Amino acid sequence: MVLLAVSFICFLIFRFTGDPVLMLAGKYATQQEREQVRIAYGLDRPFYVQYANFLGNALKGNFGKSYISQVDALDTILERFPATFELALTAIFISLAAGVLLGVVVSIKPGSLVSRAIMAGSLGGISIPTFLMGILWVMLFAVYLEWLPPFGRGETVQIGPWRTGFLTLDGIKHIIMPALTLSGYQLAVILRLTRAGMREVLSEEYIKTAWSKGLSPFTVIVKHALRNVLIPVVTIAGLSFGELIAFSIVTESIFQWPGMGNLLLVSIFETDHPVIVTYIMMAAFIILAINILVDLLYAWLNPKIQYN
Amino acid sequence: MKHKLMTFILAAMLVMPGMALAKSELVIAVDSPPKSMNPHSYNSDANLSYMANFFDGLLQRPAPEGKLAPALATDWARKDALTWEFKLRKGVKFHNGNPFTAEDVKFTFERMKDPEFSKFLNIANSIASIETPDDFTVIFTTEKPVPWFAETMHQNFIVDKESSLERDSGDYNTKPIGTGAYTFVEWVKGSYIRMEANPDYWEGAPVFKTVEIKPITEAATRFAAIATRQAHILSGVPIPMIAQIKKNPAVEVVSRPARRAIYMDIGNKPGTPFADIRVRKAIAMAINEDEIVSTVMRGQATATAQVPDTATIGYDPDLKRLPYDPEQSKALLKEAGYENGFEITIAGPNDRYVNDKQICEAVARYLARVGLTVNLDVKPKSIFFDELSSNKHDFYLIGWMDGSYDFGRSAQLLLHTVDPDKGLGVYNGAMYSDPALDEMIIASSAILDRDERRAALQAINKKSVEDIAWIPLHYQQDVYAVSTAVDVTFIPRPDRWIVAKEIKK
Repeated sequence: MVLLAVSFICFLIFRFTGDPVLMLAGKYATQQEREQVRIAYGLDRPFYVQYANFLGNALKGNFGKSYISQVDALDTILERFPATFELALTAIFISLAAGVLLGVVVSIKPGSLVSRAIMAGSLGGISIPTFLMGILWVMLFAVYLEWLPPFGRGETVQIGPWRTGFLTLDGIKHIIMPALTLSGYQLAVILRLTRAGMREVLSEEYIKTAWSKGLSPFTVIVKHALRNVLIPVVTIAGLSFGELIAFSIVTESIFQWPGMGNLLLVSIFETDHPVIVTYIMMAAFIILAINILVDLLYAWLNPKIQYN
Repeated sequence: MKHKLMTFILAAMLVMPGMALAKSELVIAVDSPPKSMNPHSYNSDANLSYMANFFDGLLQRPAPEGKLAPALATDWARKDALTWEFKLRKGVKFHNGNPFTAEDVKFTFERMKDPEFSKFLNIANSIASIETPDDFTVIFTTEKPVPWFAETMHQNFIVDKESSLERDSGDYNTKPIGTGAYTFVEWVKGSYIRMEANPDYWEGAPVFKTVEIKPITEAATRFAAIATRQAHILSGVPIPMIAQIKKNPAVEVVSRPARRAIYMDIGNKPGTPFADIRVRKAIAMAINEDEIVSTVMRGQATATAQVPDTATIGYDPDLKRLPYDPEQSKALLKEAGYENGFEITIAGPNDRYVNDKQICEAVARYLARVGLTVNLDVKPKSIFFDELSSNKHDFYLIGWMDGSYDFGRSAQLLLHTVDPDKGLGVYNGAMYSDPALDEMIIASSAILDRDERRAALQAINKKSVEDIAWIPLHYQQDVYAVSTAVDVTFIPRPDRWIVAKEIKK
């Protein structure tokens, strides 16, 4: 249902984003040649016929061919999926690990200088736009310090259909900056969420009991407090994972990361409708799938919740 | 399991140094990714630039002037108004080993007529028949006189008939098989294209054995790429960052005037203020182009009085810009009866040319100063060009460069009265119309003699400038950065193609 609505809205929007035929026919084309192209691409048919046709084919798993490259639109996008997935995975890993760790640190000693600095930094993470953050990272670590490469994926290894950058040192060096940039916002959110949760839990009776039993601070904080805090944190992280995959567009274009977001931007620029609509459908699908998965995981983590 | 994974990762890291050595001898960063490896899939210089490394045309245009020179054809002649004969080079082989013959040429131009494979319909459809009397002669007969036919032969790349027919379209669109100086190694979309020198190239093997071209669409990232020496040559240096790049001792900035001219298109539609030449003149004189070049373009542009560039047949070195003179402009408006100005809308794209939006804004300010009421209407190119084809705008910014180096086609598309059925005036969005000029344009296409033709095209060019059929602003500048750390001699081309065989040590 959602997918249907999404695809319909896409088609509606395309009516206002310019005529792809103008570009496809080339700049020296005459009116007749433009019409010839229009017919060849089926763009002469009325809107509802085009849409019905698209739906019919999409159900069979055929999302059409890219106008520009004449290669299957879904293949074009899937080819870019590993890059985006690895980037999102690294980003979510960074934001979870650093976010939870810092969140715990901040909640244990809320008044200390370190905590105040971390909280101030997290405000920056939430409010500095991704593109600015990315460019600042590049200027600092690539141009001035020359520690990290400024763009691209570096050396990659192809394993079956999956091209990975995790297996080479060069690939790992290349992923650090984009992943940091992409994780910025999530990191701040997770940090704040952990902190809020920890402060609430730490004042609960059972934690006081644990302290009075004389358990070590590590056991109390990690085993007793953190476990309960993690449930909402994991939920948020899970939900945002889908978004990271689907909307890493800005980060990918700053770092020339060869992922799906980069492809989408180029396709929009070229009015390549089949690629755009397939991408948006896929983004919607990923987000839906992850929401369902997180709901299931939630039930598993917290036995109090049950779905009938 | 965990152990196995760790060992695997460690092993992978050990092989790493070996992989690092596999880096290409020459790395070139450009601003536009390739769309397809089918040489006829996309008629833009950005894509043709990649194709020129894998394929050859019948002719070529070597740097720096871009004068027409032999390539797969050794000789060519216009036999009469409709007939063109090309003598082909012998002993050339495609990358798959197939010999190059007249059959391949015939097949290529026939395939170019098919919209499924080709965006070069215009030139292909102008061909009525192709004859191949022997293996190394091709005779084209065109439907009507196409004086610039040979002038486009550097960008109509020849494909191998046999393998093109055998392969499915997915393979054909991703793995190029040509006769070019480089053979295709790998295309990782969004990352790079790798290629290897073709040892059997008919011009001799190129100097750099392995070349990698990396597209980087974001301007700030391109800057970082050259600043961190991740690329040896960078095409499309972002103009705001030129000053910083020039400061870097490891990098040398190379620039040359581009072929593309930026101009304001204006019409003479009856019933509009533009019908009066005094108004057109007043607008032209109100625009301070020198200031646009020095401030908006930061010196990276060359003011021009005409649209064709110096390499184009029809360029007239004697044409001069109208002087910038706001007082005279106001006087002319008054004379024409527009003492209190009139409402004018300046349209233009905001994502197509260098600083296009800023130029429109500057023009708006100049026109406001001479008393016109100005509206600004800049928008993304996909919408703007759509509106142009329905002749919505009377005054707009646009750029032009003709792939053929012949002003004849430009004049037909840009200056001739709008006539969609005949394919004339397709880009005459402001609907300028002058029957006398139309006649000159049509008459010029039948002239065979090159010098005579040059004179006729110059006359058309001159008339259009004098009658202010358009207001030329400037030629863009192509700016490159070349690393001084490696031994590279790079000479930019007028068409901005990156032709690796022309890059020497």
